[in-house]
Amino acid sequence: MSSDFGRRGRRVLKVLLPILATVAIVAPLAWLWQDSRVPASYSVMEMGYLDYGGRAATDPGAGGHMHSHDHSKASAPVRSVTNMIVDPARPADVRVDLVTRQETLAIADRSLSGFTINGTSPGPEIRATQGELIEVHLRNESVADGVTLHWHGVDVPSAMDGVAGVTQDAVPVGGQFTYRFVAEQAGSFWYHSHQVSNPQVAGGLLGSLVIMPKSGITQQVDVSAIAHTYGGVRTINGKDDDLHVPAHPGERVRVRVINTDNGPMKIWSSGAYRLLAVDGTDVYRPTEVSGSSVTLTAGARADLEVRGPGNGEAVRIQLSKSSAMIIGPAGADVPAPPQPDTDLDLLAYGSPAPLGFDPAHPTRRFDYLIGRRPGFVKGRPGMWWSINGHLFPNVPMYVVREGDVVVVHIENRSGEVHPMHLHGHHVVVLARNGVRATGSPWWVDSLNVLANQSYDVAFVANNPGVWMDHCHNLKHAAQGMVAHLMYEGFATPYRIAGPTDNQPE
Amino acid sequence: MKTAYKVLAYLVAAEVAVQAMVMVWAIAGLGKWVDAGGVLDKSIMESEGTPPFPEVAGIMVHINNGFFVIPGLALLLLIISFFTKVRGAIRWAVVVFVLVIVQTQLGGLGHDFPLAGALHGLNALALFGTAIYAGRRLRAAAPAAVVDEQAPAATPV
Repeated sequence: MSSDFGRRGRRVLKVLLPILATVAIVAPLAWLWQDSRVPASYSVMEMGYLDYGGRAATDPGAGGHMHSHDHSKASAPVRSVTNMIVDPARPADVRVDLVTRQETLAIADRSLSGFTINGTSPGPEIRATQGELIEVHLRNESVADGVTLHWHGVDVPSAMDGVAGVTQDAVPVGGQFTYRFVAEQAGSFWYHSHQVSNPQVAGGLLGSLVIMPKSGITQQVDVSAIAHTYGGVRTINGKDDDLHVPAHPGERVRVRVINTDNGPMKIWSSGAYRLLAVDGTDVYRPTEVSGSSVTLTAGARADLEVRGPGNGEAVRIQLSKSSAMIIGPAGADVPAPPQPDTDLDLLAYGSPAPLGFDPAHPTRRFDYLIGRRPGFVKGRPGMWWSINGHLFPNVPMYVVREGDVVVVHIENRSGEVHPMHLHGHHVVVLARNGVRATGSPWWVDSLNVLANQSYDVAFVANNPGVWMDHCHNLKHAAQGMVAHLMYEGFATPYRIAGPTDNQPE
Repeated sequence: MKTAYKVLAYLVAAEVAVQAMVMVWAIAGLGKWVDAGGVLDKSIMESEGTPPFPEVAGIMVHINNGFFVIPGLALLLLIISFFTKVRGAIRWAVVVFVLVIVQTQLGGLGHDFPLAGALHGLNALALFGTAIYAGRRLRAAAPAAVVDEQAPAATPV
């Protein structure tokens, strides 16, 4: 009998063991898959987990895990980001009408499907003077997925940030939206759609925004250069030719380079230059540079000053190896200078100056650790970007209070470069790889974080609302490299997906 | 189940061959494009829409095969191996699976440490050989397994 049982037991075990082994493999995968799925519609406030940066939670109701379904705590009184606007009674100083269309672009003898603003890509440059109120009236004529306009680098009030599903609903075909903000910072900025932003920005739904200081600028020539790659074709201001900029000998020329692509770009010149501003903030006492390139990360801007050379010659500024600006008299040219081996180190460029706040004693400290690991995102298996070890949507929601001094440690262990972009704020670089900054205050809104690099950055939480804090390689953002910064007591009524199909990435 | 095991093992091997082919195809296309004046940098690599040269498709195929198709096949092979009842079938399915995981890690690591890319190439050969062996040994091992199962009955008590 006992041997009979033993034999039967072995037989049962023989059938059961493979099934159990299969379950042991499939069940965790199924759980991970299920956990990675996002609801048909959700608020970014429900994403991931709250990170208070070392402070006690005082407003625990403002967020929570997407799958917790516990909304009982979410009843704390909150202000909506929609209230964060400029005085509606104040008349506009600069009024612009922008119409977006989905159409075919002619780039370098090729026809590419893309987007236009007022019939062109890039759209018209918007110029204003510091202190003026800019009012942009957006009408979406034919962009099927809907559009928004995000004012990249301008620390606008939260309701004007132009992020679909976070600060507004995407503007559908036939819809309209009016953006109003005061041009408080002088500098070089750009605007682009933040609805389905990966294909829409790549397809040209963008333009430049220049805010002149009240006192004016000291350069005689002032030109913007939007670097953009359309379907693999490098362009400056939408043309795949070199950009000629007429300048007389001795004239000071200000070149505002805007990198609208997904990857960092090198800029170098055949002549000496000064780097006047980075991301719309002036460098303090910039010195003359020769023989070094400037790295301009995705979304970033650099203002360079060169002098118009004499003797009928020209200065050439390379925006990558493929495109260039030629500055000088008509017809003059100069051979392409070789790409320098050294890069201008902004950690030590210019002279130190007061920051306006003390980052030595921050009220909040956050980590933004970028990794890459296998797993599921939105139900899809793959190697995905992680933030503090978590995959989208289970990523941190950084929580601050107005007036906080915030220090963020950004570390890239993902093997690839990431252009990190925090909305609504400028951050100052304190250190890179633990080496402290010694030059001019290096303020950025788009920071090039190379693989195996770390940055310590600081900012003052002075712009209440709900803000994206994401990779501006918009492909990476679409792959889930998106976290948010939220002020205690503020909430957004908008939802990702939903009836207007908001898809900010 | 044995047929499924063999088919999956050979499919893994075939996919490894495809991986090698599409990469060389892509690099050859890149070389031709650069020869004609094309410049490759991060912006071009990350640009959307129409690719600068058609052989970019090779890289896309490599990524999709490497991250999805081959790990999926290796996982299926592992699961099927539990049911084949052939001695060593599980062991070799595990070896194939582990080599696939190592291969994806080396591929990712190669972005950071290019030398890992060289090991990625070497590990591909190991994976190819192991997958072929796993499939072939099943045919040889199958009768042995049957003998194993019948042996107790044939032995007089």
